[in-house]
Amino acid sequence: MDTPHLFLLLSTLAFIGGVIHAVIVLRAGRWRESKWHSLPMTAGFLFQSAFLYLRGQAEGRCPLGNKFEVFIFIGWCIVLLYFVVGVAYRLSLLGVFTAPLVALLQTTALFMPAETVAHPYKKMNVWEHLHAPLAMIAYAAFAFACITGIMFLVQDRLLKRHRIHALFHQLPPIHDLSKAILRLVLFGEVLFAFVMFISLQINAPITSAKMLVSWGVLALYAVILLLMLCRTLTARQTAWLAVFGFCIPIFSLWIVTPKA
Amino acid sequence: MLLCLGLNHRTTPVELRERLAFTENKVPEAAQQIKALPDFEESMVLSTCNRVEIYTACAEKDAAQQLAILFDYLTAHFQLTPEQRDSLACYRLAHADAARHLFRVVSGLDSMVLGETEIFGQVKAAYSIALKSGATGRALNKLFQRAFSVGKVVRNQTTIQRGTTSVGSVAVDLAEKIFGHLRDCHVLLIGAGEMSRTCAQSLLSRGAKSIFISNRSHDRAVELAKEMGGEALHFEDWGKAVHDVDIIISSTSAPHFVVKPELVEPVMRKRRGRSLLIIDIAVPRDVDPRVNEIDEVYLYNIDELHSIAEDGRRERQRAMTKCEEIIEEQLRKYGYHEDSPPSIAGFQRASASGVLPDDDAN
Repeated sequence: MDTPHLFLLLSTLAFIGGVIHAVIVLRAGRWRESKWHSLPMTAGFLFQSAFLYLRGQAEGRCPLGNKFEVFIFIGWCIVLLYFVVGVAYRLSLLGVFTAPLVALLQTTALFMPAETVAHPYKKMNVWEHLHAPLAMIAYAAFAFACITGIMFLVQDRLLKRHRIHALFHQLPPIHDLSKAILRLVLFGEVLFAFVMFISLQINAPITSAKMLVSWGVLALYAVILLLMLCRTLTARQTAWLAVFGFCIPIFSLWIVTPKA
Repeated sequence: MLLCLGLNHRTTPVELRERLAFTENKVPEAAQQIKALPDFEESMVLSTCNRVEIYTACAEKDAAQQLAILFDYLTAHFQLTPEQRDSLACYRLAHADAARHLFRVVSGLDSMVLGETEIFGQVKAAYSIALKSGATGRALNKLFQRAFSVGKVVRNQTTIQRGTTSVGSVAVDLAEKIFGHLRDCHVLLIGAGEMSRTCAQSLLSRGAKSIFISNRSHDRAVELAKEMGGEALHFEDWGKAVHDVDIIISSTSAPHFVVKPELVEPVMRKRRGRSLLIIDIAVPRDVDPRVNEIDEVYLYNIDELHSIAEDGRRERQRAMTKCEEIIEEQLRKYGYHEDSPPSIAGFQRASASGVLPDDDAN
């Protein structure tokens, strides 16, 4: 196994280890807020960053050339957002819900072909450099809305079924989760709209299938956002929408990313 | 030598406790008076609704005799009759037992509601008064600083604070897990029973914005509204208020369901995403259980509230062992330990001669 793959494996194991530890502690009712809970996330993030750095060095470009790299890059963006959102909104247990998704993305990536292809240097302007990473951050925001949606649905279920135990006490209030979903979808949508605007300005060749799917994702989230802002749906329906909505961009990756 | 003479909700009935309570402005004076007693070097008086305790540091002498002097001071200060003095039950603790007791008090282990946090602030305030009045010195300053760190360790490392132990606090806890904070919450009371009043008061004390009270006897609603700073509604009008409130507490004596899905469902459609917590305290129940199936409505009846409170109490009881272990560890760390086992603060009925309780009492 080469060094980048070793880092990737260690990162995945850190996330899985964090989840297993959290589940055991939660089941035993011994979970307490502690800065140590972010240790697996931090370790995982550092290994992810090391992997992406080495991969970028080897390929001579931002490592977003195939599905394997895109999955890792989205995972990296999700963890990056976790540190931003976790601090800003103080959403307890956010890491516990974030780590499984990132671990799943990376485990899936580990089974994908991952040849390193060195690319000749190609002069690009700043927007050409930024457009793909920004799109991935927007995808990460949608992923985060999905994670927050799952947290909402769990807390809602606990409240409805009167299951007042350790998990209930640790999860944030459902109104806070509801607000966080809206803000994340809004952030993702604005950023993705900006990315789509950039894509119209750059010279890089973009396939029509990729453009179609990307505009489709933008439109889908515009509808979701509109429904949220108009409060047409109940908070629970909104949370479901944030969860299922993310399936579209994640499956669209098979269309919008090059095969290798 | 550290000493503690005290009485609390377990040792002394409220009638006598209120007689022995030091008013806040008299505390510094009392601390100085105790400090001035022969061989006493430092003192601190803690007086709350549930306990009166005197902590002192004095010269190494017979602990029983020194505690008897403190007991005499207490009874003389409050001019107790000989009968009251004879019936006064106090705990008399010395050395490590006094330190252990203080550590347990600040950790909420000696409180009426196990694990409550208010006592921590009360001890801090009492210590601050003693410190400012110059009644404390090196020994007590060290003891109290350590007690505050122990209190924090106990709270951070155990689940002694987790869960809620009364119906009122369960209602608050649920409301906070739904709305985050209560400062924008409006409460509707349907029926003006004692339990619903308690719940509403808990919600108001945590910042609920306003309260509407509706009762079959409108006069009673007006009376309660006046008492709680709310607004009285005629009983036939409470349905109209459902749209504007976030929490409903129902406790009518109606033999049938008062709050039904037919009423709540259309209102929820118009509330645009605002949740509704309904607490049904009535027996027979006031709220049709089908109401809980409506999105964003959370319904709890009295049995469920009691069951959650009971779980909270059990959780705190389970955490007790761990708390006691931490306290023993901290006593050893700070050099207060004398290999005596952890104990619930012992007490004994004080005799006129004022002797120390026997070993197994504390």
